[in-house]
This record gives sequence, C-alpha cells and structure tokens, in this order.
Amino acid sequence: MLAIYKKELRSYFTSMIGYVFMSLFLSIVSFYFYLHNLSQRVANFEYTVSNVSFIFVLLVPLLTMRIIAEENRQKTDQLLLTSPVTATDIVLGKFFAVFSILAMIIAVISTYPLIMTRYGKVPFASAYASIIGFLLLGGAYLAMGLFLSSLTDSQVIAGVITFIVFFLTLILEVIARRISTSNKTAYIAFVILWLVVCLVLWIMMRNLTVAFGTGIAGVVALTGIYMAKPVLFDGALIKVASWLSAMTRFSNFYRGILDLSDIIYYISLIFVFLFLTIQAIKKKRWS
Amino acid sequence: MIEVKNLVKRYGDHVAVDDLSFAVEKGQILGFLGPNGAGKSTTMNIITGYISATDGTVTINGLDIFEEPEEVKRMIGYLPEFPPLYPEMTVTEYLNFVADLKKVEKKKKAKMVKEIMESTKVTEMQNRLIKHLSKGYKQRVGLAQAIMGYPEVIILDEPTVGLDPKQIIEMRDLIRELSKNHTVILSSHIMQEVSAVCDTILIIDKGRRVLQDTPENLSVHFSSGSLKLVVRGDSNTVIRELKKIDKLTRLEETESHEEGTVSLTLYFNENDDIREDVFYSMSAIKTPILEMQAVRMSLEDIFIKVTQDEGLSDKNKNGDNTGKEEVLTDAGNL
Repeated sequence: MLAIYKKELRSYFTSMIGYVFMSLFLSIVSFYFYLHNLSQRVANFEYTVSNVSFIFVLLVPLLTMRIIAEENRQKTDQLLLTSPVTATDIVLGKFFAVFSILAMIIAVISTYPLIMTRYGKVPFASAYASIIGFLLLGGAYLAMGLFLSSLTDSQVIAGVITFIVFFLTLILEVIARRISTSNKTAYIAFVILWLVVCLVLWIMMRNLTVAFGTGIAGVVALTGIYMAKPVLFDGALIKVASWLSAMTRFSNFYRGILDLSDIIYYISLIFVFLFLTIQAIKKKRWS
Repeated sequence: MIEVKNLVKRYGDHVAVDDLSFAVEKGQILGFLGPNGAGKSTTMNIITGYISATDGTVTINGLDIFEEPEEVKRMIGYLPEFPPLYPEMTVTEYLNFVADLKKVEKKKKAKMVKEIMESTKVTEMQNRLIKHLSKGYKQRVGLAQAIMGYPEVIILDEPTVGLDPKQIIEMRDLIRELSKNHTVILSSHIMQEVSAVCDTILIIDKGRRVLQDTPENLSVHFSSGSLKLVVRGDSNTVIRELKKIDKLTRLEETESHEEGTVSLTLYFNENDDIREDVFYSMSAIKTPILEMQAVRMSLEDIFIKVTQDEGLSDKNKNGDNTGKEEVLTDAGNL
C-alpha cells in the first residue's frame, strides 16, 4: 500500500495536475475568504466554507479522473494486479494519496481563521468545525471520484461522468423540492430509478438474467409496498434525495455543529465508495 | 514447479483456453507457441493471476494461484504483451517503485535495482523519462521489471516483439542467462525464437494443446520424408538400383554440379527411414555415396503443419506433398 501511496502522491507533483489543483483550490477559497470575511468584516469563517463547498464539484474530477482509468489505459494495472498486493492495497494507497493532497490544502486553509485574530475575536469552535466538515466532504467526493474512475479506461470519460454525478449531488435536493410530494410521483420515480440501476448492472456485468431478475424483483417489491402502504411514499423522494445529497448534510457543519452522526455519515460514504472501487477492480478479474 | 491442469477460460460463447494442461520443471525454459489469438496471452494472464479461469487449476510450488494469490504472485515476475510502464517516470524511479511493489527489502533495494539495470543494459538510460525511450529500451525496462525481486518464475509474453535483430539476439542471451536461476515461460509466434532458447516447446492452437516436445525431438519426429543424395556413377544404373527399395515412393533427378556424379532427391513415407537401405543398395553396385542428407522439416513447417492439421491425428497420413505446398503459400502471410 505504501509503495502505491508514494508513487501516486509523487505522480501529482511530477506532472502539473497537483500544482494546478492546489493553486486553483487555494485561489478560489482565498477569494471567497476575502469576499465573505475580510471585505465584509465578519469573523465567522464558516460562512466562507459553506459558500465555497461547491469547489469539490469543480475540482475533484481534475484530481481523480485519471487515477484508475489511466492505469487501465496504459495497462499498468497488469503490473499492479500481478504484484503481491491486494486490490484493497491499491485502492487505499490511491485514496490516501489524493486525500493527503486535500489535507495539505486544508492545513493551509486552517490558518485563515488565525489571520482574522489580528482584527478581533474569532469564533474558533465553529470555524474549525466547518473545516473538519469540509475535509470530510472532500474525502467523500474523492472516494466517489475514485470509484467512477475505476469504471472506464478513458480519463476524459471518467472526468465527464464524475463531473455530472457531482453536479447531480449538488442540485439533487433542489430538484427533489420542486417535484410534487405525492406518493404516486415518488413511486414512479423510484421505479424509474430502479430500472436505471438495473441498466447499469447490465452494462457492468453483461448478464441479462441477473439484470432482468433484479429489475423485476425490485419493481414487484416497490409495487407491493405502494399497494399496501402508500403513505410510506409521501414525500419520500425529498427524504431520499436529501439523504443522498452529501451537501445537505454539510449544512450542520457550517452552522458550527459537530454532530457524530454527520461524521459517521461521511466516513461511511467514503467506506462505501472505496468498497465499490475494490469490487470494481476485483470484478475485472472475473469478467 | 509450475503445473497447469485442465485450464478453461470462456468469454461468453467464445472459448479462449480449452482444457489446457502442462507442467514446467524447475530451471526449464518453456516456449509457448501458437498463432495470434491461440490463447497464449490469456493463459499467461491466468497463471499470473491477472484474470481468473472459468475452470481448472494453476499451482506454483504446490500453491494455488486462486487460493493464495499473494504468495504465488510473490514467486512470479511477469512481462505482459505491452510492457506496463509509467511514461511520466524515469527508469530509476520506475524500477524503485516496482521494487517496493514486489516488497524487496530496503537494504537490498539499491543494489538490486543497479544490478538489474546492468544486466538488462538500461543503465545509460536510467535518468530518462520512460516516454522518451525507444521501443527496444521500453521492452528492456519491462523485462527489468519482471526480474525485479528475482522471482523463481519469470513469464514473458512475446519478449522480442518490436526489437531489431541485434536486440533480439541480446534478449535471447539474457533469457538464457536468466534460466540458470529461474524457471521461464515465454510465448511467441515466431518459431526460430522459441527453438533458439527453449528446452521444451508447447504448441497451442485455438486454446488447445497441440503438442509438447523438445525442439530437437520435434524436428526428428517430423522428418519431411525426403533425402538428398549425390553419388558418383551412371544415372541409369543408380536409378534402376534405387527403385528396388520398397519404401521409396518417388525419385527425382536434379542437376548435378560435379562431373560424373548424379544428384537425386528421394521421397519416402514420413515415418520410414531409408538411409540404410540407400547405403546398402549403393554399396551393392559399388557406387560411392558422396553426400546424403535427410531433409528435416524446419520448425516453422512443423508449426504450420500441426496448427493447420489439427494435431497429430494426421501424422500417419501418407505424406504426399500437396498439403505442404498449400501450407507454404500460407506461410507468407504469417
């Protein structure tokens, strides 16, 4: 794992990507810091953090799009997978490498609230709570990006898909709020969503029976629940959307609330996507 | 050492490897020969644990690659068809990374990297970025990667593809050198390459084993059924005498280069040996034999023959030459 971690981390600094990512990230955060704190003479750093959290959607694809797709393209995955390391080592090594880059940036950002102490009293607790949340949110996006990169061997496709998915997480809740809360809409939406999941399943596995079977089973189950207890679907779309939306959870952090359930939510999100990435790599062996 | 048993790999309806079994002893070089798409790379990918098998087992030193992948991978160095290189790294960086990946001890690492760079002759390129190297050097760096950690087994997939003749010879010497301490499996679709370095040749076609033997045995086994003969004497007497040999199927007189001699090509059944009969029949009429040479099928011919005839079942067929000529025109396309 350490070998892959070192190699990956170094690769970001022997190419331009690492520097581009860091400088863009810091410029944007600094600009928002100026906009929301310095020019407004407000001491609450969490305002900056909450307004700049979209930055991951913009920049994380830059960092993660090539991370596994490029290995697949230049066939170096063959070296990694025939060496005495496990898929878990590979994925963790890569994740911690990009996470370290993020952590370096966050370390720089952590000094920003200190700058403001020159001008008055700064609410440190909420400032650093928001920074911790910011790091966790970033980690979740990195894990998601890692997973999406493992699905293809073109970094361009990986980049575009990552950006679209990230963008969806950003607007998911907004969309859900606009849709009617009636249980019928929710039911139809879930059925469509389930069929999309099965389509993805078919693309990944190329196994018609499994994809079709899961599809039918899911639709039957959803219909069953809808027939028996339609109340369950009342406003369900919003609930699910906001649960899935990594951004919504983040609002607690920038209010300065360090809730254990939120921390666990992000860490489990990271775990889920790392797990999926490991499975995607292992799956290749069995195709 | 390496034992492959009843290996099957299916991709949907397509069978890439079909019930393949073979074994390699320690210190041997096994040449894996087959036309493009015969399943060579697939088999190697399975042995090295890169892809799974649909059925069958692969064991190295008694350990199963599917059950103890990490242990087995530690014993294998692999140079795939496309050398797995990072174009943005220098040669030294890359080899150091591979050494870490293969869990080479820290103390031994620097020395080993240096040694391997010397033996694969990439030392003078050590600080260049891999993307700036020529194909030949990339291949050597790929080989250096496979040797890293000195694994017991080294598997090379078409190691000489894209190299110039001089590099091919160097690569062969290197592989021969490796076989002193390692067990080597190498694949190729070029016959002379395998026959030059390998102890055993395994010919596969359409995922199936066609035959396995040493290069020498193969060419003896597959005598082409013809003999070139030069004798001093009168052509009519000689031909009359030779026609008495039962096993002879056909006889052809060719142009003679020396005065007073007769040059002939004798054809006979592939499984027979008529050299002694020729000797006695010539001595009976007191005609000295100046030259006699059994024309052996070159390994190329054998290869083409067995991959086209679907194996040994046709070996006993009467060797008329029409089949061979048809094969030779095909050889141009290979």
